[in-house]
Amino acid sequence: MADIMVNTNLPTTTMSGAREAELTRPNTPSKSSSDELYSIVSQVGEGTFGKVYKARNTVSGLYVALKRIRMESERDGFPVTAMREIKLLQSLRHDNIVQLYEMMVSNGSVYMVFEYMDHDLTGILSQSQFTFTDAHLKSLCKQMLAGLAYLHHKGIIHRDIKGSNILINNRGELKLGDFGLARFYHKRRRSDYTNRVITLWYRPPELLFGTTVYGPEVDMWSAGCIMLELFTKRPIFQGNDEIHQLEFIFKILGTPTPERWPGVTNLPWYELVRPKEFIPNHFRDLFRKWLSPAGLDLAEELLAFDPLHRVTAVQALEAAYFKVEEPAPSMPTGLSTLEGEWHELETKRERAKKRRKLEGGAVQ
Amino acid sequence: MATDFWASSHNKRWIIDRASLKQARSEDLRYVESPEHVDFLNIYFANLIAMLGKRLTLRQRVIATATVFFRRFYVKNLYCETDPFIVIAACCYVAAKAEESPVHIKNVVSESRLMFSQEGYGVKNFPSDNSKLAEMEFYLVSDLECDLVVFHPYRTLLTLCGREAAHAVVSEAGEVGVGIDNGPRYWGTGEGRLELEEGPLQTAWHVIPPPPSTLHSTLLRPKTDQIRALNRFIINDTYRSELCLLYPPHMIAIAAIYLTLVLNDKTREAIQAQTASSTPTPTPRRSSRTNTSSVHRKLAAAPQQQQDFVGFMAGLRVSLPTVAMIAQEILSLYTLWERYSDAAPESGLGQSAVGDTAGDDVVTPAFLTQLLLRMREARLADLAHPASAQPMAVNKRLERTQAAG
Repeated sequence: MADIMVNTNLPTTTMSGAREAELTRPNTPSKSSSDELYSIVSQVGEGTFGKVYKARNTVSGLYVALKRIRMESERDGFPVTAMREIKLLQSLRHDNIVQLYEMMVSNGSVYMVFEYMDHDLTGILSQSQFTFTDAHLKSLCKQMLAGLAYLHHKGIIHRDIKGSNILINNRGELKLGDFGLARFYHKRRRSDYTNRVITLWYRPPELLFGTTVYGPEVDMWSAGCIMLELFTKRPIFQGNDEIHQLEFIFKILGTPTPERWPGVTNLPWYELVRPKEFIPNHFRDLFRKWLSPAGLDLAEELLAFDPLHRVTAVQALEAAYFKVEEPAPSMPTGLSTLEGEWHELETKRERAKKRRKLEGGAVQ
Repeated sequence: MATDFWASSHNKRWIIDRASLKQARSEDLRYVESPEHVDFLNIYFANLIAMLGKRLTLRQRVIATATVFFRRFYVKNLYCETDPFIVIAACCYVAAKAEESPVHIKNVVSESRLMFSQEGYGVKNFPSDNSKLAEMEFYLVSDLECDLVVFHPYRTLLTLCGREAAHAVVSEAGEVGVGIDNGPRYWGTGEGRLELEEGPLQTAWHVIPPPPSTLHSTLLRPKTDQIRALNRFIINDTYRSELCLLYPPHMIAIAAIYLTLVLNDKTREAIQAQTASSTPTPTPRRSSRTNTSSVHRKLAAAPQQQQDFVGFMAGLRVSLPTVAMIAQEILSLYTLWERYSDAAPESGLGQSAVGDTAGDDVVTPAFLTQLLLRMREARLADLAHPASAQPMAVNKRLERTQAAG
């Protein structure tokens, strides 16, 4: 991490200082106070285990994202999820993965210092100033898949791919963030994990059917949801609970049959949530107006019911959608002209404000 | 980069030179009668980590990580200004989390209390409050600078000895980047692997002849000592010293292999025979393609089990003088260790038995605990009366330790 320090001109009082400096510097946790080194500008998000702030490095003037790991509410000390996220991020370096610059301790809190990303996908899709072309959307999709391909190559499942965890900066670069639920998996051996992961709308059917034995395919389903969302500008499967979520999926993709998904009947909760009636697949009819033919092909392969037949990130990057069909992907560099920063948090606040206004108006 | 040692924080920031290490211990040395006592403390604390780890049923890898955390913490802190016992507990707790096999904080506190309060250790003031351990954990993680990825020699050993597929990859579940093919090892020969019989391989990992001091107690309590003898792995043993701060793990592994070859009767004879016949008869180098004449193949039939150990060592792309130095340090660790009686005070009886045999030369855990208390008192006195000591700097470390209990 020391080389990053040079790039960003962060002073050596922070945790990534040169070794010589570390040995002599005082060990007071309050030394590298966020008040001194970083001044917080605003809150930009809510991570799995703490708030995320936009902050400015008072020395270099560069913006960073500070993610505070809450300690006081943790009776068991340092949250194991935070520890996992730190370990994971320290071991990753890729253009499409958000970069952890360093760790910082200040006033009894531990902060993760990230590169600052101007927008997240949910936020940027909700604005109407900047219009994405098909080439832009193709680039965003490709960047997401490249990030996932790297993660899966490293033996990591993200387990929380969703709009607010996909970050975009004004240069049009897309990076995956929030590794609070991510974990290592065995490539050769399948093991048991919790099935209570991934935000409901992006959760694949096998998890909704209760499986605890899964691999990186779960991320690919979420990626399929995101790909469609890029074009439609809103989440595709917006269920209220697990059962409703499955119904939503069936309404669009049809009901899973043993032919489409061998082994579905053996899943733990199949009997509990099995479809009551047969529904045919409406996918192509519904999305024809949004996506190109090759785009439809790829989305359908990402949203394959059977995890074994779901396309992998590496395979997806080779799809005709990227390799053959026009237009070629092009990064939305024009985002730098966009006013404001668009994060899900602000979008939500904006919506809440409007709602209050409406309610207020109704009362009057 | 977790799967790449060279780019890791371990390599970039936590391999320190001997002078820095000496500097880190210099204050502690002012409060002991003999510099050896600090080395004994190093053995003592590593033993405690291993024993606490066993009580918490942590895997060997987790115990090794905990020990590395402990060593790293004391690069920045002093034995005489901190409470190493709670640091030990915190190291085990953090290592368990970092290696994906978490244990409950309550268990760590109660097992530590139970173990440390045994007569032989005589640590009476271990806190019963979970929050104290949580607080210590915070300071520990902060002094470790959140560098939680630690590399160990085990993987190198198994890779070089051709056991990787069989053991390491499968068994180390929580390890970063498990199941990833690293490609050829840059420091290896690229010419196949050393094939050790199960016995010698076990030695590199395991068994060194039990030192005389434990031979005695073997007669008294054969069962526990058998187990202990089994657990004496050369690599595991290196954690009793500060080698893990000075050298990259693969060098330590190679030194362990080297020692194994020299110490094992069979392999030593093979090496001696090989070096004795120093006539330039082409040594059966396993994958050198030039020597495939039929005449040579006849010769090579016998060397099937008699491998070219010297060639293997020479073929490694590492500094052999460094390997020899590490090996030397391991040997001196054993010399020192022989004078340390770690007969764990499982019962009052065992304790008294040790007390009987303990001459002036034998160092016991109880002695070291007392030594530590004396060091701390002397340090406190010095800090309270700066006239008798060097000019006092504001010492946040001490404040923090006191705050942490």
